[in-house]
Amino acid sequence: MSQSAEKVLDHFHLFREPEYKEMFANKKKNFEFSVPAEELKKQVEYAKTVEYKEKNFAREALTVNPAKACQPLGAVFAANGFEGTLPFVHGSQGCVAYYRSHFSRHFKEPTSCVSSSMTEDAAVFGGLNNMIDGLANSYSLYKPKMIAVSTTCMAEVIGDDLNAFIKTSREKGSIPMEFDVPFAHTPAFVGSHITGYDNALKGVLNYFWDGKAGTVEPLKRKPNSSINFIGGFDGYVVGNNREVKRIFNEFGVKYTMLCDPSDAWDTPTDGEFRMYDGGTTLEDTANAINAKGTIMMQTISAEKTAEYIESKGQEVVRLHHPMGVKGTDEFLMAISKLTGKPIPESLTKERGRLVDAVADSSAHIHGKKFALYGDPDLMLGLTAFLLELGAEPTTVLSTNGDDAWAAKVQALFDASPFGKNCKVYPKKDLWHMRSLLFTDPVDFLIGNTYGKYLDRDTGTPLIRIGFPIFDRHHKHRYPVWGYQGALNVLVAILDKIFDQMDADTNGIATTDYSFDIIR
Amino acid sequence: MSATAEARVNGAELIEEVLKAYPEKSAKKRAKHLNVYEEGKSECDVKSNIKSLPGVMTIRGCAYAGSKGVVWGPIKDMIHISHGPVGCGQYSWASRRNYYIGTTGIDTFGTMQFTSDFQEKDIVFGGDKKLEKIIDEIQELFPLNKGITVQSECPIGLIGDDIEAVSKKKSKEYEGKTIVPVRCEGFRGVSQSLGHHIANDAVRDFVFDKTDPDKNKFESTPYDVAIIGDYNIGGDAWSSRILLEEMGLRVIAQWSGDGSIAELENTPKAKLNILHCYRSMNYISRHMEEKYGIPWVEYNFFGPSKIEESLRKIASFFDDTIKEKTEQVIAKYKALTDAVIAKYKPRLQGKKVMLFVGGLRPRHVIGAYEDLGMEVVGTGYEFGHNDDYQRTTHYVKDGTLIYDDVTGYEFEKFVEAVQPDLVGSGIKEKYVFQKMGVPFRQMHSWDYSGPYHGYDGFAIFARDMDMAINNPVWGLTKAPWAKAA
Amino acid sequence: MATLRQIAFYGKGGIGKSTTSQNTLAALAEMGQKILIVGCDPKADSTRLILHAKAQDTVLSLAAEAGSVEDLEIEDVMKIGYRNIRCVESGGPEPGVGCAGRGVITSINFLEENGAYDGVDYVSYDVLGDVVCGGFAMPIRENKAQEIYIVMSGEMMAMYAANNISKGILKYANSGGVRLGGLVCNERQTDKELELAEALAGKLGTKLIHFVPRDNVVQHAELRRMTVLEYAPESKQAEEYRQLATKIHANAGNGTIPTPITMDELEDLLMDFGIMKKEDESLIGKAATAA
Repeated sequence: MSQSAEKVLDHFHLFREPEYKEMFANKKKNFEFSVPAEELKKQVEYAKTVEYKEKNFAREALTVNPAKACQPLGAVFAANGFEGTLPFVHGSQGCVAYYRSHFSRHFKEPTSCVSSSMTEDAAVFGGLNNMIDGLANSYSLYKPKMIAVSTTCMAEVIGDDLNAFIKTSREKGSIPMEFDVPFAHTPAFVGSHITGYDNALKGVLNYFWDGKAGTVEPLKRKPNSSINFIGGFDGYVVGNNREVKRIFNEFGVKYTMLCDPSDAWDTPTDGEFRMYDGGTTLEDTANAINAKGTIMMQTISAEKTAEYIESKGQEVVRLHHPMGVKGTDEFLMAISKLTGKPIPESLTKERGRLVDAVADSSAHIHGKKFALYGDPDLMLGLTAFLLELGAEPTTVLSTNGDDAWAAKVQALFDASPFGKNCKVYPKKDLWHMRSLLFTDPVDFLIGNTYGKYLDRDTGTPLIRIGFPIFDRHHKHRYPVWGYQGALNVLVAILDKIFDQMDADTNGIATTDYSFDIIR
Repeated sequence: MSATAEARVNGAELIEEVLKAYPEKSAKKRAKHLNVYEEGKSECDVKSNIKSLPGVMTIRGCAYAGSKGVVWGPIKDMIHISHGPVGCGQYSWASRRNYYIGTTGIDTFGTMQFTSDFQEKDIVFGGDKKLEKIIDEIQELFPLNKGITVQSECPIGLIGDDIEAVSKKKSKEYEGKTIVPVRCEGFRGVSQSLGHHIANDAVRDFVFDKTDPDKNKFESTPYDVAIIGDYNIGGDAWSSRILLEEMGLRVIAQWSGDGSIAELENTPKAKLNILHCYRSMNYISRHMEEKYGIPWVEYNFFGPSKIEESLRKIASFFDDTIKEKTEQVIAKYKALTDAVIAKYKPRLQGKKVMLFVGGLRPRHVIGAYEDLGMEVVGTGYEFGHNDDYQRTTHYVKDGTLIYDDVTGYEFEKFVEAVQPDLVGSGIKEKYVFQKMGVPFRQMHSWDYSGPYHGYDGFAIFARDMDMAINNPVWGLTKAPWAKAA
Repeated sequence: MATLRQIAFYGKGGIGKSTTSQNTLAALAEMGQKILIVGCDPKADSTRLILHAKAQDTVLSLAAEAGSVEDLEIEDVMKIGYRNIRCVESGGPEPGVGCAGRGVITSINFLEENGAYDGVDYVSYDVLGDVVCGGFAMPIRENKAQEIYIVMSGEMMAMYAANNISKGILKYANSGGVRLGGLVCNERQTDKELELAEALAGKLGTKLIHFVPRDNVVQHAELRRMTVLEYAPESKQAEEYRQLATKIHANAGNGTIPTPITMDELEDLLMDFGIMKKEDESLIGKAATAA
């Protein structure tokens, strides 16, 4: 018996004790009828080969370990960014349990969201009654200012019509006639979570700007001097949105952040549970039509929304997760151009400090090879930043990035001497990445939490940047945008590089001559 | 009025108060799921296993979660295809902490996400051809897999795909390979529960009924048992198995935590099935009783009192040698449990707990809390049935608040009113209560700790409850300059 | 720019729905209207007379080939036929697999997003027999077809179908703007067909917008994969379609919310006209040998 009250062993160490090891060995030997060790070893090695990679890349139907989620997740993200808004997903209820868990695991925060709990009868007869009862219950219990409706794939397959259902619900008295219920169809079998973000955000804007689903007159745009900011689906939204607000305030511009969940996903622990906190006010959302223009921080994550805003006569600046020195330069210049305000001295100074930091550290990054994967906009921003640091992003992969995205990444490679040996992989998953890490090894891997399996299998150290991050805490509180954000990213990369350097050189009397005290 | 009678009255008032927030029709329906337990009754007098109301923020999941997430997912040497759009498999990817030992991606596949990633064209034209190809590609890239399951997501049943025909065809093509179609579409049933049942039936139809009984050869002994309904969360099944082996039994299968398909196939040879999670695996236990004459016994490995009781109950099915060894096991761990209780009970004595969990824990963990001097004042099941609530009456005290399929609103109000010292529930609830300043432990995933089963697990359980309740952070939630309320 | 007029033809299978719609639309084109036809029947036969083709490549089959709908260009799926009528077929799966209803939703979303509706006066949806699921109701959702024309005849099943379709329209009429434009009776030469059609129209709260007589010239034209308007523009039948087209053109905004009737009422109506005999209760369930 190894357990004791003084030193409690939990799963980390308990199962390494001899009595457990023996038990595992016996279980395997006697009852698992598992693959013979020789065969196992052969396959382990075979899965590292070029031949296996080719087979792996010949896959047409199977997806293994994808780096994307489904549309309604993005819709819930978008809904969560508006004042007093309850996300309502029409369809099966299990989906909502999943979205809530997924976000809570990333942000370590509650995520409120309801389902219309459709079951077998609704599959046959349609989900109208679920909408009628669901809206009535949500409205009475959770007293939202707005309910934003999206759909699961179940409701989409049977073809439920949100517009008609919501109207009928109003007529049946589930919610007051003038209560705001924007909606968006978000079929899980089209696109990914970023598509859902786009659809839902467009749904909200369309609702407020174009006559609240036929109940009032559409708004007429009266251009003013303010600008809109749309961040896109962003795992760093808490830190990023605050940083961007600070930047806008440095400029002294009037702005509306369309979809801002930075408070909702960062509420204090002070004895009170805030179901709603912060978010874009409904008034600001409506007035945003009058803005001079809109800055899209992740255009692939909000392409349809961008087009819609343009159709209202606004200028839309399309960015792709700008990161680093040049990325942030581009972002600030866009603000300056849109608003006519000069870039403040304070930010120019911040820029200088970032360049200073890069200059101090770049020797350790220069020429290092990186493999990275994630949402398409993030990949564009990160690739550009790595090239700027003199690193080589030799493998850039995205599951929800398409060929048009790949062409954009390729253009970044082509524009930099460090991009010469780099390759982009659209519509691929992390099992493809596993092959690539064996056949085309790199020094570091950048990705979300799931990358830890690749780190384990291929020995490529993982730097966690992306969504979701489940196994490290509070990353979402630190921005990755702006010069300050770039500094955070730089430090995250450097920390891993230095840790790895130390781990590689700590062999006593073998390698520790390089175990330097100063780096 | 006695204290408990008072609790009962207060509880009834509280329920009435909370129900006021609902529209009338919904209040009526929800009223049937809420009650205050009265000492001596054989029922909790709540309705259960009924559809959740739309829009109330139920904590429940779906049939897919019950099959892929709970029953089948942990079978480590099979590949479980999340068949349909990408999301379901993504959100349930490796999040349940079903520990296993194996070379992931080569001979085991537990922490991987295999999906058919349905696109619009697969919905419109049907996904059967894609499924065929997927199975081919699995065989090519993961040749050491021991079997495949097809875990249906919502669209599969709606568009009328014939996954049974595809599975049959492919099984034949791959020399009788086990390929299991599972009709666990999320819209079926009212919660995870139907998914458990469907998954149990799939084991019956596609493993038991299709396997040559002599496929895996081993010498039977009179002491062969199978652990049923332990998902090895944080290693629970391991810290249970070790006790069973110490008492002289031979565990020939684990269902399904750290389980393999061979172990499923071994089980009809067991002399006794010992069942932890009754809810999710009573179906297959009953089937094995009927078909193979294997008796089954429910047990509870949370906390020394229940462990002791359970060990003796299990031993009662065997001869005196086992019974003697069992007493030795109980004696052996006495010192450990005494030390654990001595260390933690003074810190936890009298603390009140409210629970809301899944299959068995709303009742099973009560004994462990009581061993530490704590008191469970409210409990409820996400997807329990009436038989679960009947079993709960053996655990709860007079005046305990019972809430079935509790809604976000109700749970928040109940906790606000009862002011427990600890809430035990899931990830979706965790941060709600912590914000309120109430200590919390996740009782699905053990909050990334564990195991909690067995004697080894009890020490960890005690430590964790202590660290949650006596965390200094709870003294910091109010700023010193904030006015006292 | 004149506002876009969106209409839809529904009707029981085999009733001559796509023949009627294509001839009528050809007549509308003759009147100078710019037209887009969206075939929403997995059979994909809603545009063949306009295109002189056997069957057009459908949105869904091309999407399946290309990988996804996003990979398609509008030119791939839109063909130009007689009098510059734009033709699109949604298509769908083989019978017995997949979800044809979802296919309709997919196709219409694709067309709207890719500007297929720009610069046309009329969009006409030609929809499979009955409103069987949410997908087939797509064309009658808000901001889609304003008026529905039900093609029917004096046959019992066609009348059942017309009543069912009215139920579908009623469901959406309350929340959206869709209206029943009228019935189009395609003559089958059943007893008292005109009167019966008018009576049914009355019951449904609409009108019989036109009674299209039977004429072999329709078959002759079809053999050549042509509309009558193109094959025999001078014929009397062509004139009938012109009349129907003129009436539809003038019918904008005149649609009604239908008042579908119960099965009993429908059977009474049929009995009144002698189409259906009064049931002899004693015969129900008796096999031939037992009688």
